[in-house]
Amino acid sequence: MNWLKTQFQKELWSPYAAGVLLGIVGVLAVWMSDSLLGASGAFENLAGIIGKAAAPQLFNNMYFNFIMPSQITWGVVLLVGIFFGGMLGAFSSKTWKLSVNGDTQWKRIFGPQTWKRWGIAFLGAIVLQYGAGIAGGCTSGLAISGGMLLAPAAFLFIGGMFASGIITALLVYRRNY
Amino acid sequence: MTNYILALILGVMFGFSLNKAGLTRYAKIVNVFRFTDMSVLKFMMTALVVSMSGLYVLRGLGLISFPRIPETYIVGNLVGGLIFGVGMALTGY
Repeated sequence: MNWLKTQFQKELWSPYAAGVLLGIVGVLAVWMSDSLLGASGAFENLAGIIGKAAAPQLFNNMYFNFIMPSQITWGVVLLVGIFFGGMLGAFSSKTWKLSVNGDTQWKRIFGPQTWKRWGIAFLGAIVLQYGAGIAGGCTSGLAISGGMLLAPAAFLFIGGMFASGIITALLVYRRNY
Repeated sequence: MTNYILALILGVMFGFSLNKAGLTRYAKIVNVFRFTDMSVLKFMMTALVVSMSGLYVLRGLGLISFPRIPETYIVGNLVGGLIFGVGMALTGY
Protein backbone atom coordinates (compact mmCIF):
# COMPACT_ATOMS: atom_id res chain seq x y z
CA MET A 1 0.00 0.00 0.00
CA ASN A 2 2.82 2.33 0.91
CA TRP A 3 4.54 1.49 -2.32
CA LEU A 4 1.41 2.43 -4.28
CA LYS A 5 1.22 5.74 -2.47
CA THR A 6 4.85 6.56 -3.22
CA GLN A 7 4.31 5.76 -6.87
CA PHE A 8 1.18 7.90 -6.97
CA GLN A 9 3.03 10.88 -5.58
CA LYS A 10 6.09 10.52 -7.78
CA GLU A 11 6.44 13.34 -10.30
CA LEU A 12 7.68 11.23 -13.20
CA TRP A 13 7.37 7.53 -13.85
CA SER A 14 9.56 5.55 -16.14
CA PRO A 15 7.99 6.08 -19.59
CA TYR A 16 7.78 2.30 -19.85
CA ALA A 17 5.53 2.12 -16.77
CA ALA A 18 3.30 4.94 -18.00
CA GLY A 19 3.19 3.25 -21.41
CA VAL A 20 1.95 0.01 -19.83
CA LEU A 21 -0.88 1.97 -18.17
CA LEU A 22 -1.86 3.55 -21.49
CA GLY A 23 -1.70 0.15 -23.18
CA ILE A 24 -4.15 -1.24 -20.62
CA VAL A 25 -6.43 1.77 -21.13
CA GLY A 26 -6.32 1.14 -24.88
CA VAL A 27 -7.39 -2.48 -24.42
CA LEU A 28 -10.16 -1.53 -21.98
CA ALA A 29 -11.51 1.08 -24.42
CA VAL A 30 -11.96 -1.56 -27.11
CA TRP A 31 -13.18 -4.24 -24.72
CA MET A 32 -15.70 -2.24 -22.73
CA SER A 33 -16.72 0.58 -25.06
CA ASP A 34 -15.89 -0.79 -28.51
CA SER A 35 -14.12 2.51 -29.15
CA LEU A 36 -10.63 3.69 -29.95
CA LEU A 37 -8.75 6.26 -27.89
CA GLY A 38 -8.17 9.53 -29.67
CA ALA A 39 -7.99 13.25 -29.15
CA SER A 40 -7.95 15.18 -32.43
CA GLY A 41 -11.34 13.93 -33.63
CA ALA A 42 -13.03 15.36 -30.55
CA PHE A 43 -11.79 18.83 -31.46
CA GLU A 44 -13.42 18.46 -34.86
CA ASN A 45 -16.70 17.40 -33.21
CA LEU A 46 -16.55 20.50 -31.01
CA ALA A 47 -15.60 22.72 -33.96
CA GLY A 48 -18.63 21.32 -35.78
CA ILE A 49 -20.94 22.20 -32.87
CA ILE A 50 -19.62 25.75 -32.71
CA GLY A 51 -19.67 26.08 -36.50
CA LYS A 52 -23.27 24.88 -36.78
CA ALA A 53 -24.32 27.45 -34.21
CA ALA A 54 -22.41 30.28 -35.89
CA ALA A 55 -22.77 29.49 -39.60
CA PRO A 56 -25.20 26.61 -40.17
CA GLN A 57 -25.03 26.88 -43.98
CA LEU A 58 -21.26 26.62 -44.12
CA PHE A 59 -21.10 23.63 -41.80
CA ASN A 60 -24.01 21.72 -43.31
CA ASN A 61 -21.86 19.34 -45.32
CA MET A 62 -20.83 15.69 -45.54
CA TYR A 63 -17.86 16.14 -43.28
CA PHE A 64 -19.62 17.68 -40.30
CA ASN A 65 -22.82 15.68 -40.76
CA PHE A 66 -21.41 12.19 -41.11
CA ILE A 67 -17.63 11.84 -40.99
CA MET A 68 -17.05 13.99 -37.92
CA PRO A 69 -20.58 14.54 -36.56
CA SER A 70 -21.09 17.74 -34.61
CA GLN A 71 -22.18 16.03 -31.42
CA ILE A 72 -20.90 15.30 -27.96
CA THR A 73 -19.29 12.02 -28.93
CA TRP A 74 -17.51 9.38 -26.85
CA GLY A 75 -14.25 11.08 -27.83
CA VAL A 76 -15.36 14.46 -26.49
CA VAL A 77 -16.11 12.92 -23.10
CA LEU A 78 -12.76 11.16 -23.22
CA LEU A 79 -11.09 14.52 -23.87
CA VAL A 80 -12.73 15.99 -20.76
CA GLY A 81 -11.42 12.99 -18.84
CA ILE A 82 -7.90 13.53 -20.22
CA PHE A 83 -7.98 17.11 -18.94
CA PHE A 84 -8.90 16.03 -15.43
CA GLY A 85 -6.53 13.06 -15.56
CA GLY A 86 -3.62 15.34 -16.36
CA MET A 87 -4.69 17.59 -13.52
CA LEU A 88 -4.94 14.63 -11.15
CA GLY A 89 -1.41 13.64 -12.13
CA ALA A 90 -0.12 17.13 -11.39
CA PHE A 91 -1.99 17.33 -8.08
CA SER A 92 -0.78 13.89 -7.00
CA SER A 93 2.85 14.99 -7.33
CA LYS A 94 2.08 18.50 -6.05
CA THR A 95 3.50 20.04 -9.24
CA TRP A 96 0.24 21.68 -10.32
CA LYS A 97 0.84 25.30 -11.23
CA LEU A 98 -0.90 27.86 -13.40
CA SER A 99 1.63 29.10 -15.91
CA VAL A 100 1.46 30.98 -19.21
CA ASN A 101 4.98 30.30 -20.44
CA GLY A 102 6.73 27.91 -18.10
CA ASP A 103 9.15 25.89 -20.15
CA THR A 104 12.80 26.64 -19.41
CA GLN A 105 14.08 25.02 -22.59
CA TRP A 106 11.81 27.19 -24.74
CA LYS A 107 12.96 30.34 -22.95
CA ARG A 108 16.61 29.46 -23.33
CA ILE A 109 16.35 28.94 -27.08
CA PHE A 110 13.64 31.36 -28.22
CA GLY A 111 13.70 34.06 -25.54
CA PRO A 112 11.36 34.82 -22.65
CA GLN A 113 8.55 36.62 -24.58
CA THR A 114 5.18 35.06 -23.86
CA TRP A 115 3.51 36.34 -27.08
CA LYS A 116 6.09 34.43 -29.12
CA ARG A 117 5.35 31.15 -27.40
CA TRP A 118 1.60 31.68 -27.69
CA GLY A 119 1.75 32.84 -31.31
CA ILE A 120 3.86 29.89 -32.46
CA ALA A 121 1.77 27.49 -30.37
CA PHE A 122 -1.42 28.82 -32.00
CA LEU A 123 -0.09 28.57 -35.56
CA GLY A 124 1.59 25.23 -34.87
CA ALA A 125 -1.62 23.84 -33.41
CA ILE A 126 -3.50 24.78 -36.60
CA VAL A 127 -0.88 22.93 -38.67
CA LEU A 128 -1.04 19.98 -36.27
CA GLN A 129 -4.82 19.68 -36.31
CA TYR A 130 -4.92 20.09 -40.10
CA GLY A 131 -2.40 17.26 -40.51
CA ALA A 132 -4.39 15.08 -38.13
CA GLY A 133 -7.55 15.81 -40.14
CA ILE A 134 -5.92 14.68 -43.38
CA ALA A 135 -4.32 11.57 -41.91
CA GLY A 136 -7.43 10.52 -39.99
CA GLY A 137 -6.04 10.80 -36.46
CA CYS A 138 -3.29 12.09 -34.22
CA THR A 139 -0.60 10.47 -32.12
CA SER A 140 -3.18 8.75 -29.93
CA GLY A 141 -6.06 8.27 -32.34
CA LEU A 142 -4.08 6.94 -35.27
CA ALA A 143 -0.52 6.08 -34.22
CA ILE A 144 -1.36 4.25 -30.98
CA SER A 145 -4.99 3.17 -31.52
CA GLY A 146 -4.38 2.22 -35.12
CA GLY A 147 -1.03 0.66 -34.37
CA MET A 148 -2.45 -1.65 -31.74
CA LEU A 149 -4.82 -3.04 -34.37
CA LEU A 150 -1.81 -3.33 -36.71
CA ALA A 151 -3.35 -0.88 -39.19
CA PRO A 152 -0.85 0.07 -41.92
CA ALA A 153 -2.17 3.66 -41.74
CA ALA A 154 -0.68 4.04 -38.25
CA PHE A 155 2.84 3.10 -39.30
CA LEU A 156 2.76 5.37 -42.35
CA PHE A 157 1.66 8.18 -40.06
CA ILE A 158 4.40 7.50 -37.47
CA GLY A 159 7.02 7.52 -40.24
CA GLY A 160 5.78 10.83 -41.63
CA MET A 161 5.47 12.38 -38.19
CA PHE A 162 9.03 11.59 -37.14
CA ALA A 163 10.55 12.51 -40.51
CA SER A 164 9.07 16.00 -40.58
CA GLY A 165 9.35 16.47 -36.82
CA ILE A 166 13.10 15.86 -36.92
CA ILE A 167 13.54 18.21 -39.91
CA THR A 168 11.43 20.94 -38.27
CA ALA A 169 13.35 20.64 -35.00
CA LEU A 170 16.61 20.90 -36.99
CA LEU A 171 15.36 24.06 -38.69
CA VAL A 172 14.03 25.86 -35.62
CA TYR A 173 16.89 24.88 -33.30
CA ARG A 174 19.70 25.34 -35.87
CA ARG A 175 23.01 25.54 -34.01
CA ASN A 176 21.31 24.63 -30.73
CA TYR A 177 20.12 21.29 -32.12
CA MET B 1 -24.79 6.80 -20.49
CA THR B 2 -22.61 4.04 -19.03
CA ASN B 3 -20.50 4.42 -22.12
CA TYR B 4 -19.92 8.10 -21.37
CA ILE B 5 -18.97 7.36 -17.76
CA LEU B 6 -16.51 4.77 -19.05
CA ALA B 7 -15.12 7.36 -21.46
CA LEU B 8 -14.60 9.77 -18.59
CA ILE B 9 -12.82 7.19 -16.43
CA LEU B 10 -10.63 5.98 -19.30
CA GLY B 11 -9.88 9.60 -20.16
CA VAL B 12 -8.73 10.30 -16.61
CA MET B 13 -6.41 7.27 -16.76
CA PHE B 14 -5.13 8.38 -20.17
CA GLY B 15 -4.40 11.91 -18.95
CA PHE B 16 -2.81 10.57 -15.78
CA SER B 17 -0.45 8.32 -17.73
CA LEU B 18 0.53 11.22 -20.02
CA ASN B 19 1.27 13.41 -17.02
CA LYS B 20 3.34 10.75 -15.28
CA ALA B 21 5.36 10.14 -18.43
CA GLY B 22 6.03 13.90 -18.55
CA LEU B 23 4.46 14.27 -21.98
CA THR B 24 2.47 17.30 -20.88
CA ARG B 25 5.71 19.32 -21.19
CA TYR B 26 7.05 21.08 -24.25
CA ALA B 27 10.64 19.90 -23.78
CA LYS B 28 9.75 16.19 -23.53
CA ILE B 29 7.90 16.22 -26.84
CA VAL B 30 10.42 18.28 -28.79
CA ASN B 31 13.50 16.51 -27.44
CA VAL B 32 12.49 13.23 -29.03
CA PHE B 33 13.06 14.99 -32.37
CA ARG B 34 16.48 16.16 -31.14
CA PHE B 35 17.38 12.65 -29.92
CA THR B 36 18.14 13.97 -26.43
CA ASP B 37 15.17 12.41 -24.58
CA MET B 38 13.43 9.38 -26.01
CA SER B 39 10.52 9.30 -23.52
CA VAL B 40 7.90 9.79 -26.24
CA LEU B 41 9.11 6.78 -28.19
CA LYS B 42 9.51 4.59 -25.10
CA PHE B 43 6.00 5.55 -23.96
CA MET B 44 4.36 5.09 -27.36
CA MET B 45 6.04 1.80 -28.19
CA THR B 46 5.37 0.29 -24.75
CA ALA B 47 1.70 1.27 -25.03
CA LEU B 48 1.59 -0.24 -28.52
CA VAL B 49 3.19 -3.52 -27.49
CA VAL B 50 0.98 -3.93 -24.41
CA SER B 51 -2.26 -3.07 -26.16
CA MET B 52 -1.61 -5.00 -29.35
CA SER B 53 -0.74 -8.18 -27.41
CA GLY B 54 -3.76 -7.66 -25.14
CA LEU B 55 -6.14 -7.09 -28.01
CA TYR B 56 -4.97 -9.98 -30.15
CA VAL B 57 -5.03 -12.39 -27.19
CA LEU B 58 -8.56 -11.28 -26.24
CA ARG B 59 -9.72 -11.60 -29.83
CA GLY B 60 -8.11 -15.03 -30.04
CA LEU B 61 -10.12 -16.05 -26.97
CA GLY B 62 -13.24 -14.73 -28.68
CA LEU B 63 -13.90 -12.12 -25.99
CA ILE B 64 -13.81 -9.05 -28.20
CA SER B 65 -14.23 -8.03 -31.81
CA PHE B 66 -12.23 -5.19 -33.30
CA PRO B 67 -13.89 -1.83 -33.89
CA ARG B 68 -13.58 0.00 -37.20
CA ILE B 69 -9.92 -0.13 -38.16
CA PRO B 70 -8.53 3.23 -39.40
CA GLU B 71 -8.53 3.18 -43.20
CA THR B 72 -5.29 3.20 -45.11
CA TYR B 73 -4.83 5.95 -47.68
CA ILE B 74 -1.12 5.81 -48.38
CA VAL B 75 -0.80 9.44 -49.52
CA GLY B 76 -3.27 10.80 -46.97
CA ASN B 77 -1.70 9.08 -43.98
CA LEU B 78 1.81 9.95 -45.06
CA VAL B 79 1.15 13.60 -45.98
CA GLY B 80 -1.01 14.05 -42.90
CA GLY B 81 1.80 12.64 -40.79
CA LEU B 82 4.34 14.96 -42.43
CA ILE B 83 2.17 18.04 -41.73
CA PHE B 84 1.40 16.82 -38.21
CA GLY B 85 5.09 16.42 -37.40
CA VAL B 86 5.78 20.07 -38.30
CA GLY B 87 3.06 21.22 -35.90
CA MET B 88 4.24 18.85 -33.19
CA ALA B 89 7.85 20.05 -33.33
CA LEU B 90 6.73 23.71 -33.31
CA THR B 91 4.28 23.50 -30.42
CA GLY B 92 5.57 20.61 -28.33
CA TYR B 93 2.05 19.25 -27.84
